[in-house]
Amino acid sequence: MITSRLSLVLLLIFSPIALAELEFRDPWIKNLPASVPVRAGYMTILNPLSEAVSIVSLRSKAFTSIEIHQTIEQDGMMHMEQVTSLKIESNSSVQLAPGGLHLMMMNPSEPTQPGDLLEIVIVLDDGSEQRVEMQVIR
Amino acid sequence: MNKSSIAIVALLALIGGFSISWVISSNKPIELEAGLWFGEQARALPEFELVDHNGQVLNRTSLTGKWSLMFFGYTHCPDICPASLQTMSDMVQAIEDPDVAAALRVYFISVDPDRDNAEVLASYVTYFNPDFTGATAIMEKLDPLTRSLGIAHDIRNKVEGNPGYDVDHSSAIVLINPNAEFAGLFGAPHDALAMARDLTRIVEYN
Repeated sequence: MITSRLSLVLLLIFSPIALAELEFRDPWIKNLPASVPVRAGYMTILNPLSEAVSIVSLRSKAFTSIEIHQTIEQDGMMHMEQVTSLKIESNSSVQLAPGGLHLMMMNPSEPTQPGDLLEIVIVLDDGSEQRVEMQVIR
Repeated sequence: MNKSSIAIVALLALIGGFSISWVISSNKPIELEAGLWFGEQARALPEFELVDHNGQVLNRTSLTGKWSLMFFGYTHCPDICPASLQTMSDMVQAIEDPDVAAALRVYFISVDPDRDNAEVLASYVTYFNPDFTGATAIMEKLDPLTRSLGIAHDIRNKVEGNPGYDVDHSSAIVLINPNAEFAGLFGAPHDALAMARDLTRIVEYN
């Protein structure tokens, strides 16, 4: 009885259906010289789940803050806008790529170098978190 | 109509005018993939004076004798500016004719002079290519150049004590000929290989 209850508890804790799981492909950060206090991060986000999922915030020990931004061409000028919640529809993907959606990563805690692997935490609208290692690329 | 819209309309009118007159006047057109070439309709730049990342004056005279590509942006721009500079760096590498490569100079002009001093610009532009030049000046001195090239720029949300403001800016890469005339432009998104082929055609043709 105790064993079966324990199993149930363990099952609930580790059950893969309990938490949303997105897939993050080719996460990378464009390196810049230390004099520049911002970096942009890119990746493709896949949502294989039966429901839409939104990314509501991001954080990392490597940056003071991370926001999702979109570069938009408006009146012939390039303009950046913050995306406060990024929705990824069920069974679809969203691409973060140069010239469009990107992670705006502010104030690196240490100078970044090509080859560095920096961990970020992605917070979803159901409160769950996923960790992603992003590679710094020259 | 705000300032930027006026600048865009002016730029479009300029391009339209150039295109039409180019088609009429040119009997030997150069086929371009990515760029817009003004041919005989190239227009002299006005007098202007910026300071480059080595502390040297950058004016109309310093642009004579070589082909110049100019991109306008700011170093705190994380996405489109590094992408454009990287494209120009890839483009230079992709130019096969050494004479064409030697005839070309690349400038990054900061429209955010408060944050982009010579030191910041030096480390920024040379990160992409040691031969690239960064330059800027106070707004009053930037304006004659940007206006003549149809480059709009606008500082947004700048408040005292907030260093995190954005600067909207045109994404075009401008081409200036060895007579210091506005000779063409490449609109975004920029393709390094197509630009390398276009510039090779333009420089070899002239």
